Amino acid sequence: MKKEKTEELYVKWVDGLLTPEEESELALLMKEDPSLEPDLHQSRMVSQTIQDSILDSVEPPYGDFFNSQLMRKVELEIASKAPSKKAARWWQSLRWAWAPAGGLALVLAFFAGHRMARPSTSELVDSVSRAQLDLVSVYVTSDQLAASVIADGDGAVSAIVIEGLEDLEDNLELAINTEQKEEGLEGLPVSYLRSRAYQFQ
Amino acid sequence: MLMAPAEGSAHAGSSDQEVSDHQLIEACQNGETRAFETLVTRHRGKVYAMIKNMIKNEADAWDLSQEVFLKVWKALPKFEARAQFSTWLYRVTHNVVYDWLRKKKLDTSGELEDSLLKPSEIAAGATTTPSSIARPDEALMNNELGVKIRQALKTLNAEHRETILLREVQGFDYKEIAQIMNCSLGTVMSRLYYARKKLQTLLSDEKGKD
Repeated sequence: MKKEKTEELYVKWVDGLLTPEEESELALLMKEDPSLEPDLHQSRMVSQTIQDSILDSVEPPYGDFFNSQLMRKVELEIASKAPSKKAARWWQSLRWAWAPAGGLALVLAFFAGHRMARPSTSELVDSVSRAQLDLVSVYVTSDQLAASVIADGDGAVSAIVIEGLEDLEDNLELAINTEQKEEGLEGLPVSYLRSRAYQFQ
Repeated sequence: MLMAPAEGSAHAGSSDQEVSDHQLIEACQNGETRAFETLVTRHRGKVYAMIKNMIKNEADAWDLSQEVFLKVWKALPKFEARAQFSTWLYRVTHNVVYDWLRKKKLDTSGELEDSLLKPSEIAAGATTTPSSIARPDEALMNNELGVKIRQALKTLNAEHRETILLREVQGFDYKEIAQIMNCSLGTVMSRLYYARKKLQTLLSDEKGKD
């Protein structure tokens, strides 16, 4: 028989917890070794003496103080946990605001991007129509020219920027025609009328 | 709201016993400190006795019992209702005592620790740990046989001593002892066997001397 098994049998016999099968196994061992039985009886006596001699419960000295001291430590423990709990709650509540705040930030970034960027004419026209702004579309025939629209729907303001045009002369007459009363010429710049007259000569 | 206990022993059999440990634990988990105090009053005697028998120093046993219950309070939110509270409590006690023993071993390595010596070998008034006057509950233990048993227990190593105390004094079954000491059932059997054998030899030697 294995050493572990015999130890288990001895321990269980002392505690009176042997099953009928185990009892017969131990009986065989006792038959082989006559000194085993008195030895086990002595072990059982020692076990009983321990049970009778040592108390399973002994009140700690100054029981009231024991409790009050402990409860003070518990209160301190609770207090030490409180700030972090508060912070956790604050973050927790903020977490619910993250979704709308994030969405708002995305919308703002979208519009800010529109203002900052200088998109090509066609892109601009498309984006303007997407934004459903009631603006005229820009069509440029020359490859050398580039036109862009800076639109602010909310402010009802828009500007058309055309790049690639020749520089204007310093002496260019920008005065408006008030003398010629012909139909269609009223209100045009004087310099334009002069160049027109030169063309028809 | 669970009521605080009437001041009393660990075996309090009156009003506070009507509330089960699990009900008290549930209340503690809801932050009721008075329920925890009831739980402490109910179990402090057993925890203190166990520690005192393990380390043989009343002052340290008092402090360690406090540490056990503070750890219990901290760990209570994780305690599962299906577990046996007493087994869990003794497991916490086991951990606290072994941590203390390890620390003490490190702290006192190379120093003379008079509590490890036989009282007869120590000069009068030379003890470093405070002596205590025997209380009524100790009077029972101060009989000759009780002294011999405790002296014999002292000579066992911590594992054997704890196994004996859990089985003979606290009455836990083998499986519960294995859970408390975090070891196998076979180890529990082996420790019980050798501890009993050693105690038997020590006590018969004492008998021979008399």
